[in-house]
Amino acid sequence: MEIAFWGVRGSIPAPGPSTVRYGGNTSCVSLRPKNGGLIVLDCGTGARNLGMTLMEGVFGQGRGEASILLSHAHWDHIQGFPFFVPLYQPGNRFHIFGGAQSSAMLEGILEGQMAPQYFPVQTLKNMGAGIDIAAIDEGAAFQVAGCTVRARTNPHGRAGALAFRIEDGAQSVVYASDAGYDPSGPPPASVDLYRGADILIHDSTYTPEDGRRYADRGFSSVENAVDAAIAGRVKRLVLFHYDQDYSDAEVDGLCARGRRLLDERGGREIELTGAAEGATLAI
Amino acid sequence: MRVRFWGVRGSLPVPGQKTERYGGNTSCVEVRSAAGTRVVVDAGTGIRKLGKELGTDADAGRTDVHLLISHTHWDHIQGLPYFSPLYQRGNKLSVYARKRDDLHLHAVFASQTDDPYFPVPFAEAQAEIAFRELTDSAKFEIADVKVACARLNHPYIATAYRLTVDGASVVYVSDTAPFTDILFEDEFVERPPSPGAELPARDRQKLARMRDGVVRLCAGADLVIYDTMFTSEDYQRIPHYGHSRPSDAVDICREADARRLVLFHHAPERTDTEIDGILAETRTLAARDGGALEVMAAYEGLDVELGRG
Repeated sequence: MEIAFWGVRGSIPAPGPSTVRYGGNTSCVSLRPKNGGLIVLDCGTGARNLGMTLMEGVFGQGRGEASILLSHAHWDHIQGFPFFVPLYQPGNRFHIFGGAQSSAMLEGILEGQMAPQYFPVQTLKNMGAGIDIAAIDEGAAFQVAGCTVRARTNPHGRAGALAFRIEDGAQSVVYASDAGYDPSGPPPASVDLYRGADILIHDSTYTPEDGRRYADRGFSSVENAVDAAIAGRVKRLVLFHYDQDYSDAEVDGLCARGRRLLDERGGREIELTGAAEGATLAI
Repeated sequence: MRVRFWGVRGSLPVPGQKTERYGGNTSCVEVRSAAGTRVVVDAGTGIRKLGKELGTDADAGRTDVHLLISHTHWDHIQGLPYFSPLYQRGNKLSVYARKRDDLHLHAVFASQTDDPYFPVPFAEAQAEIAFRELTDSAKFEIADVKVACARLNHPYIATAYRLTVDGASVVYVSDTAPFTDILFEDEFVERPPSPGAELPARDRQKLARMRDGVVRLCAGADLVIYDTMFTSEDYQRIPHYGHSRPSDAVDICREADARRLVLFHHAPERTDTEIDGILAETRTLAARDGGALEVMAAYEGLDVELGRG
């Protein structure tokens, strides 16, 4: 399985010279399972660059198919959706999964972003591609692009955010962006989801100090991410969803801090990577 | 007065190396009079940094910001929830935008921060927020700043603003299509018309009146900030998205006898080098037949001093 990072930032895109190395686009990650399908995790502004890259292949000919898993509907996780060009190419097919009480409500959430007062391209219905939308039944595994996916809600904001575990045969990736655990750490069901994963992409919005200062915002610090990785005995922790004000140097610091915390807390064998726009990881 | 550019991009923010020089934040321009009146036009992601700059005054609840909104497409409002003075009691924010039949201005902004889209509801903003809905050709004053409006040709309709203070004028014309091939009323036009095709007489007259209004608004202005998102190729392909080419802006400015044109609302795909090229071409165009129009391309952090102070 190959993982590519298109947007690694939280809250709001952060353009500028101080963010060019890790990137300023909001959350979007793509997974290529062994069978060659495509899974997209969240549609922050990073989805625009992913879309343009995809258009160079079968998606540009209207023969592409992908599944989009949405962790939650805060802007930084859906704002790239209207700018994801393959959606405008007739013939392409997209299966969208996300958290909502019903599929119709999930569709309404995506439509709401494209209401005419906000965006000039009308509705999901005339984008061009075939789009089906399904609300996820938490706990029940489902199949996507030949992979088995399980979802579990982490505490975040008013409705929580879904974390996803994607298993491609024996390989496993967990995407856990936007997780604001209480002081006792990740709940047991979340730890179960993370357990033994080859890669855990985890919310690391803050330094431990900022994490304590902004504890009510529903995000993890690098310390929380390290504790989650150790609790789940994952093989590699990928730091993700950096605060919009952190410069590249500060994110370097966040990664160094993560490494030190892993070593100190019994996670010496866990590898650590700071997600960067344009980078790929293979299992 | 001082005009400062906090965000110069259209459509969506585009971080990255290729946009480092001109900047990747969406539309936001600040005008500050010598007496200290602060008027901001549009609240794209650039407004986040303005909020930070207001720093200690905003923290103490002492800022008074007047925000003119050209229209409520995302790239012109998406920064507002991240404008930190909103969350401090004592600060004042007045939001102005065109009155509509279908939605109250307040509702457009409140829905932006509704569940499930944003964690903090608009009602929790501590600043004192007032909404003022404008007619197409409204004229009003914000302390020492005189404001005049004109209607633009854009899906869902946008408003241009002329601000006059300290003996100088700046006009903000974004977003708009040229006034020739297609008339935008409320909704998006689904299919591109063919540029140059004959328009119904009624549409033609309406567009001509709209164009006159924009030329009058720009008359003798010291600075005209204009939506020049499109190249000629873009305009041929997607005229129905509602943006202009640099040549459209030059025509309007020359007719209005404006002094200086600022190319603005750069397309998300435009690299720094491409914008350099567009600027050079537009300067050549503006200088044709002995034209005196100066041309600049907006970049994040650009400051222009006009008139007194």
